[in-house]
Amino acid sequence: MTETLVAQDEIQSVARQCLAQGYFLESFTAVDFAECIELVYHFNHWGPCQRSCVKVLVPKNGGSPGAWSTPSISSIYKSANWFEREIHEFFGVTFAGHPNLKRLLLPESSEIFPLLKSFKGEPKGADVTQSLKLMQEDTREFKTQEAVSLTQKNKDYYLNLGPQHPSTHGVLRVLLHLAGERVLAGEPIIGYSHRHHEKMMEIQTYLGCWPNMGRLDYVGAMSYNMGYALLAEKAMGLVPTPRAEHIRVLMTELNRVSSHLLWMGTFLLDLGAFTPFFYCFDDREKILDILEMATGERLTYDYFRFGGVDRDIPAEFAPAIKDFIPEFKKRLRDYDKLIRQNIIFEKRTKGLGILTKENALAYGVTGPSLRAAGVAQDLRRDEPYSLYPTLDFQVPTSTDSDAYSRYWVRFREMEESLKIISQLVDKIPAGETKLARIPKNFPKGEYYSACESARGTFGMYLVSDGTLNPYRFHLRTPSFSNLNAIVDMLPGCVVSDVVAILGSIDIVLPEIDR
Amino acid sequence: MIFKELIKIIIYGTLVVLFISVNALFLVWAERRVSARIQLRRGPIHVGWQGLLQTVADAVKLISKELVLPKEADRFLYILAPMLVFAPLLSAFLVLPLAQNVVIRDLNIGFLFIFSLTNITFIGIFIAGWSSNNKYALLGSMRAVAQNISYEIPLLLSTMGVVLLTGTLKMSELVPAQAKGWFLFTQPVAFLIFLCSSLAEANRAPFDIPEAESELVAGFHTEYSGMRFALFFLGEYTAIFISSAIAAALFLGGWQGPLLPGLVWFLIKTYGIIFIVMWIRWTFPRLRSDQLMALAWKVLIPLAMVNVFVTALVLELQKILA
Amino acid sequence: MEINKDPAFLDTQMPPPGLVNLFRVEDALNLARANSLWPLTFGLACCAIELMAGGASRFDMDRFGFGVFRPSPRQADLMIVAGTISRKMVPCIKTLYDQMPAPKYVIALGGCATAGGPFKYPGQYGILEGIDKIIPVNVYVPGCPPRPEALIAGIIELQKQIKEGRTQGTMSPAAVADSQDARPAEYRDAISRADFRKPA
Repeated sequence: MTETLVAQDEIQSVARQCLAQGYFLESFTAVDFAECIELVYHFNHWGPCQRSCVKVLVPKNGGSPGAWSTPSISSIYKSANWFEREIHEFFGVTFAGHPNLKRLLLPESSEIFPLLKSFKGEPKGADVTQSLKLMQEDTREFKTQEAVSLTQKNKDYYLNLGPQHPSTHGVLRVLLHLAGERVLAGEPIIGYSHRHHEKMMEIQTYLGCWPNMGRLDYVGAMSYNMGYALLAEKAMGLVPTPRAEHIRVLMTELNRVSSHLLWMGTFLLDLGAFTPFFYCFDDREKILDILEMATGERLTYDYFRFGGVDRDIPAEFAPAIKDFIPEFKKRLRDYDKLIRQNIIFEKRTKGLGILTKENALAYGVTGPSLRAAGVAQDLRRDEPYSLYPTLDFQVPTSTDSDAYSRYWVRFREMEESLKIISQLVDKIPAGETKLARIPKNFPKGEYYSACESARGTFGMYLVSDGTLNPYRFHLRTPSFSNLNAIVDMLPGCVVSDVVAILGSIDIVLPEIDR
Repeated sequence: MIFKELIKIIIYGTLVVLFISVNALFLVWAERRVSARIQLRRGPIHVGWQGLLQTVADAVKLISKELVLPKEADRFLYILAPMLVFAPLLSAFLVLPLAQNVVIRDLNIGFLFIFSLTNITFIGIFIAGWSSNNKYALLGSMRAVAQNISYEIPLLLSTMGVVLLTGTLKMSELVPAQAKGWFLFTQPVAFLIFLCSSLAEANRAPFDIPEAESELVAGFHTEYSGMRFALFFLGEYTAIFISSAIAAALFLGGWQGPLLPGLVWFLIKTYGIIFIVMWIRWTFPRLRSDQLMALAWKVLIPLAMVNVFVTALVLELQKILA
Repeated sequence: MEINKDPAFLDTQMPPPGLVNLFRVEDALNLARANSLWPLTFGLACCAIELMAGGASRFDMDRFGFGVFRPSPRQADLMIVAGTISRKMVPCIKTLYDQMPAPKYVIALGGCATAGGPFKYPGQYGILEGIDKIIPVNVYVPGCPPRPEALIAGIIELQKQIKEGRTQGTMSPAAVADSQDARPAEYRDAISRADFRKPA
């Protein structure tokens, strides 16, 4: 990974060069130091990874938060739009030239910049009734958009899809600008599930960060465990035991299948088909049984440890997987017949929500949504980690980049994951699952590592000052960038398609809001 | 004389309302059990024997729920709408031939009377969506009206084949005309079109776009609570029963059948069709509104017209040959 | 609000026996209500997945009649608060609760909805520590996330409460305060970048 420090006013030309060379903005965050705010841009390339890290210093000059300014690159990279809003609200950096520099994750009325080190927590005993009143003022904006009366002369109006809506997969709000049923524009509004993971991890020990990993993307938590383990092992120079390595990959792939199953069920639910949801959950329960044998948990896994896994797998673990694989393969064939070959499904999803390659690059889309656009980018192959270099698996792609191909790519990914599982299940070596001694903290320095989660590239950027807690821990979550890309998919479709598009890109809200 | 008539009206009215309620309770229970069976579940089994009391509990609860009246709603229309949806369906029972000689009023215009009256429910649905002052409800009711107008045409056209064969609209004459063979076999295309259109008329999946749960929250009845909501529900299930009953009378030979009494045969056939309707609901994804319109105008209506034309042609040829 | 559970006090609160006694009717209605709890389709975070699993094939809440998930609050009886309540979401939850027709019940599912769960730390800025600060809660189901069996047990507990006619729910004490965590805060000051970059 190359690292360059550029001046504030050069960043736009650097970003332009990067875009011209086919780099996408993978991660963009900031670190608060005593004299300046350090902006950290991570650019990455499709195909074999060539990461380049660019840094910009925004001097504080004794000013207060909000007064620190730097040029925006949101006109070059569309994904920077949300990243910059996030940095603005958490660090008080103003991005000159940003079209819409509002709060992203916190309520409009907030006056805090929580990720600054000068923020020492909300005063004890913040009164709920008072804050409720404040927050209800926020919803006035909600209401004014709603109140664009239906009797007015022009025929367009606003519709708030969410935050409580059956098919927003959590608490996402999409503000739709409609004419009749036709969508003129749509804007996702997030933050309804913001759980201050990043600030929280700054006051926790490194070991204490594990439970957070399970609760970010709770549907595919094993990949997040994997990501943190990789980061820690890279920083501490640990090598996990072979047995632990095997268990980790098995767990991650099983969890990927269960995550895709949940997605498939809810996506079909969005399209109005109820029954696939129950079939998918039935299969998912079988996977959860297997995972539960080893982890003791059904959902928010907190299983990996630095250099190993928390506890050993029981004896019936491997036989259970072996029973499950043929059964599930049969089920997959059923799904294919019932869902993909159904004419209504085909008509509803073909040509829907097209994501062009240019947009995918500009928004930094990763994961199955990107592979459905014909780009075979998969960190398991492009930046091999753990056991993946020794395994035989394909990276399924599709060319149409519509909702149908996103379905098809995820479907085939399940088959590939099964292939990986069946390669490993017979070869789990004996031995220890934990290292005897592990350090308590990361050595002083900064670390970036990424892995492939069920939804795309999960990157972690950690700054350690050598103490027992992280100095700054930023999580680059795949759905954050993927969701932003729907802004360009929505115009022109109808309300029914909005939920189908939302479903097809597979989002998990707490992972976006963090 | 007038007195006698009055008593008759009261008795029949009570019977019909009773039947509608019991029928809806049974159908909701059946729907939940059928869907559970399809979805690898058990469905309601703990409230009463086999969960039969489940829907009774639901009904009692709905009656005792608070009736919310949204502040911004158009009060008069908001209260009127559920009644307008429910009441016209009662009238349909006037002409249903439940068994031989068991028809309340054997009208000359027969099932045309049912179609013309049950369509008032769509005005009710539109009023419900409009008066709720909720955008989801309004979208749902706009979809309902568009859907109803489109599907009314193939629905009526598909029955015309049967009318051509018998030369009457009277329900009591349509059924005996099938003594030799059900119209299902002579008019198979018409039957499929009828089934398809009646699904759409009753807002059932895969044509349930007016209440599309995953898109429009609950569609036109988003703002309705308690008994007012229950009336929509009751209306929906009664509409399914009526259209299935008509299908049974027109295409499956109505009350005719060996051994069992006519009423039993009629109910068996009707509930058989309802079962198929449920089966379809839990199997298919939902269509989009424009695809729904396209299906009506580009496929069903031309097909129904061809069907009428071919039937007429065959009849004429038979006449010439004879 | 402090609830006085003293039996002697409760006896004084009972209405005197009169000519018309509606207790029986009320009992019958309560029985119907208890057996027909329609939850609101509403999920906030991790617990919502377990809520979905509870409705799906293996656990099948529909067996007891809890399976009719209504997406519109107007038709729901039961609000299952499944997940962390972020402060941005608080007014929405309050609105949803107000939109539900009476009688209505609330289940706090999981640690977050009960008291902030794992996301509670001194001086936290993002979440509401427990849904009972804004709406009354009937049943708390612990777990992070609770298993679907626990959810079903929670609803059955609620059924019991409804049948016995005690459904007012509990709210947090009146002086509602967030960030009650008594641990010392471990917030650190910013370090100098020059120091940090200096080669060791």
